[in-house]
Amino acid sequence: MTQKTTRDVRGVGLAIPRPDGPEKVTGRVQYVADLQPRGLLHAKLLRSPHAHARIVRIDTSRARALPGVRAVLTAADIPELKKKAPTRSHAVLAIDRVVFVGQPVAAVAADELAIAEEAIDLITVEYQVLPASVDPLKSMQVGAPPVADAGTEADTSEAMAHGAVTVAKADAPPPKAANVSQQSRLHRGDLAKGFAESDFILEQTYRVPMVHQGYLEPHAVLAEWDRTGFLTLWASTQGSFNTRSEVADVLEMSENQIKVIPMECGGGFGGKIRALCEPITALLAKATGRPVRYVMTRREELEAGNPAPQVIIRLKTGVKRDGTLKALEAETVLEAGAFSGAVLAVSAVFLASLYKWPAFEVRGAEVLTHKPSIAAYRAPVAPQTIFAIDSHMEQLARALQLDPVEFRRRHLIAEGDPMANGQPWQSNGGREVLDRIAEHPLWKSRAEWKASGGNGHGLRGTGLALGGWLGGLQPTGATVRLNPDGTVSVLTGQVDIAGTNIALAQIAASAYGVDIEKVRITTGDTDVAPVTGLSAGSKTVYTVGTAVLQAAEDARRQTLQIAATELEAAVQDLELIDGRVSVRGMPDRGITLAQIGKKGNLYMSKVQPVLGVSRPAFSQQAPGFAAQLARIEVDPDTGEVTVHDFVVVQDVGKAINPIGVEGQMQGGAVQSLGMAMTEALMYDDKGRLMNPSLLDYRKLTAADLPDIETIIVEKPSPSGPFGARGVGEPPIVPAPAAIANAVEDATGVRITETPITPERIALALLGG
Amino acid sequence: MAKQALSFTVNDEAVEVLVQPWDTLLDALRERLGLTGPKEGCGTGDCGACTTHVDGKPVASCLMLAIQARGRTVRTIEGLGRLGALHPLQEAFVRHGVPQCGFCIPGVLMAAAALLAENPRPTPEEIRYGIAGNLCRCTGYTTMITAISEAATAAAR
Repeated sequence: MTQKTTRDVRGVGLAIPRPDGPEKVTGRVQYVADLQPRGLLHAKLLRSPHAHARIVRIDTSRARALPGVRAVLTAADIPELKKKAPTRSHAVLAIDRVVFVGQPVAAVAADELAIAEEAIDLITVEYQVLPASVDPLKSMQVGAPPVADAGTEADTSEAMAHGAVTVAKADAPPPKAANVSQQSRLHRGDLAKGFAESDFILEQTYRVPMVHQGYLEPHAVLAEWDRTGFLTLWASTQGSFNTRSEVADVLEMSENQIKVIPMECGGGFGGKIRALCEPITALLAKATGRPVRYVMTRREELEAGNPAPQVIIRLKTGVKRDGTLKALEAETVLEAGAFSGAVLAVSAVFLASLYKWPAFEVRGAEVLTHKPSIAAYRAPVAPQTIFAIDSHMEQLARALQLDPVEFRRRHLIAEGDPMANGQPWQSNGGREVLDRIAEHPLWKSRAEWKASGGNGHGLRGTGLALGGWLGGLQPTGATVRLNPDGTVSVLTGQVDIAGTNIALAQIAASAYGVDIEKVRITTGDTDVAPVTGLSAGSKTVYTVGTAVLQAAEDARRQTLQIAATELEAAVQDLELIDGRVSVRGMPDRGITLAQIGKKGNLYMSKVQPVLGVSRPAFSQQAPGFAAQLARIEVDPDTGEVTVHDFVVVQDVGKAINPIGVEGQMQGGAVQSLGMAMTEALMYDDKGRLMNPSLLDYRKLTAADLPDIETIIVEKPSPSGPFGARGVGEPPIVPAPAAIANAVEDATGVRITETPITPERIALALLGG
Repeated sequence: MAKQALSFTVNDEAVEVLVQPWDTLLDALRERLGLTGPKEGCGTGDCGACTTHVDGKPVASCLMLAIQARGRTVRTIEGLGRLGALHPLQEAFVRHGVPQCGFCIPGVLMAAAALLAENPRPTPEEIRYGIAGNLCRCTGYTTMITAISEAATAAAR
């Protein structure tokens, strides 16, 4: 048996599969909808068919009379409701006005789902239909039908949750038009002079429509009250402590009266951060005194979830003939739907300061419309922003006949350069991932690939794009405990969606100095776990990993101190090898972890139990960059794009678990390709969703795709555990731009609106 | 309408259960029999998470009425393999770390098992079409194709 030191235990860097894999492949893991407690009731919501209407009258008498119906609630039954809901979560049921199609108006709990559905049909609502603001650009204009009740309030909690950049208050002028809920302006240098000195000016407007996060498990929650007034929620959430806070706020309860048990989460991607259906389900459970389960249908998810905003970016740049950047001016409009909550500043940072523009002005506006309110979607607003700026950089390079990689590399920011908001860029691998793409055989052979097009084949092209994410931050906690048999237990409140728990366990193993097989990690509920942040913002390994690292180091320190006392030796003379602490050079003088663990658990023992604790807060982000390369073929008659090859290169700092990292890179890339090629929530002029099914809201299938090639780059972050950076979000960023760039390479036409559909390409090829 | 008695075979056992006339096979499996492995991702046959074998063929169990299963043989993910005795496909999925959120996985495995029953040595292209009815939002499908190929190759040996 080989001896192991702290430095070579089986831990960080191992490509080992997650230990709950067997539970997942046998269908044994439990999601909310799988729970069937005794006395379970089923909930159903009556939702508005109108984007904007006044509620004149609601009649629930026939629904209440239906056998099997246990509760029917309208706003009149809920005294906690605020007339003017400050957030979407507070708008539990509409009071006197509905502001989007699908807004909940009444709720039913019944013995069977079919009875609840029938009861919903028996509720009559008289509406006075009002004109709706459906188009964000029209909604900004004075006189547009107002969305909020009186003025508008910015809700920036989403941005804070993601640890995203914030814009200095002094720089943000107050909102003007009624439906503009947030504004920002960032500028530097002399814009007019910059454009005057430019040889070439390019102006384009880019548009990415609302898209849905697409998690396969719809929103679901189970609520039950006990007789002493305590509420338990079994939730599908990205953050149980956040869910507890929001529900407590909406229901005007103490957080101590609520326990959130995070169930297996069937995907979130930002869409399961805010409380959406938890408050109404809790109220139904309270009204009935029974456990109530609510599961959204897929149609409800698409019509009335909380999708990503539509993003419209008008971008104007000026450059010298030799490629010198001179000036950038941009206007970003984020369509937030019926409630504020968009992340405005991320767009400004990537537009104005991913490349070094000496003069820039970026104005941003969040606009409310009569549509479902938006939420985060994996790197919120970054793919949409990179679609604009990277498409632009590509066109500039082509117009100036410069090498597209060299052009980007020449102007790319480096560590220490100022971001648009004045903060310095942290260490990052933007240049390194671009270098790796540039040396990839698919990039080097792009001319041959293009030349092989036509002659019985489609038109062929290659495109790349570079994007990234700044990385989220949130305070968090973790404990690491030594058990009486020498094994180690890690406890956090982290919801493990993608397989982060195995990475956290690997960090604990390496930091403690034990093999991964000795470590078990548990996600606790809000009653038992240390306060833990959201599973969002690419920050689980970066922040919770740091907490676990520090808690494991604390536990190791305690372990060695106990051993030093027991062995009558100095701590610095001890080593921990193969689960045994011994005096260096004297292998016979030792004590096992099991012995130390037992001493901490014995009746009348004077040895303290080992419990490592950490509760860090953070200030330094670790940006993660990804570059993607697409080799495609376009049918010149139909405009259909076939992706032949797709490569993701990503700087992850340190791949704590390469299996998990590659899974994130591949999955993120395919979501990015979906946004690029097929996905859009499409609304008619009355604000009604025209594609409320997964047949019509087209996500990519296995048959649409090639294998996704992954190349991991490790440029250590100075602040992350073992040098790790956030991994989840960067890979969703580049593909819309990479595909648009590849389409131009193949066909010569530039598409500036996603999804880049066959129809758009075919029309562009016809000059339409 | 009164509940109906439904007799059929589920995971090699004869089962009798009362179902509503409007219950889908998925409802019967999940809500009446407690077999919650098959998932409802859409309820309209578009996502594949509820894929279950009926007489050996993969069906979207959310689109089939429970009473249509009368007298037939149904296999769910719970009957494909079990902890300690995983099906080779399940083993390959674990080994390659395929599941992330895991919600699509039961449906994908049932679709893949049906594919291999019909075509024991599929090409990667055939695998991609074989699971094209199963949406996955986490993995990007690449590791699924690898794992299914590997399980097919191992079975052929």
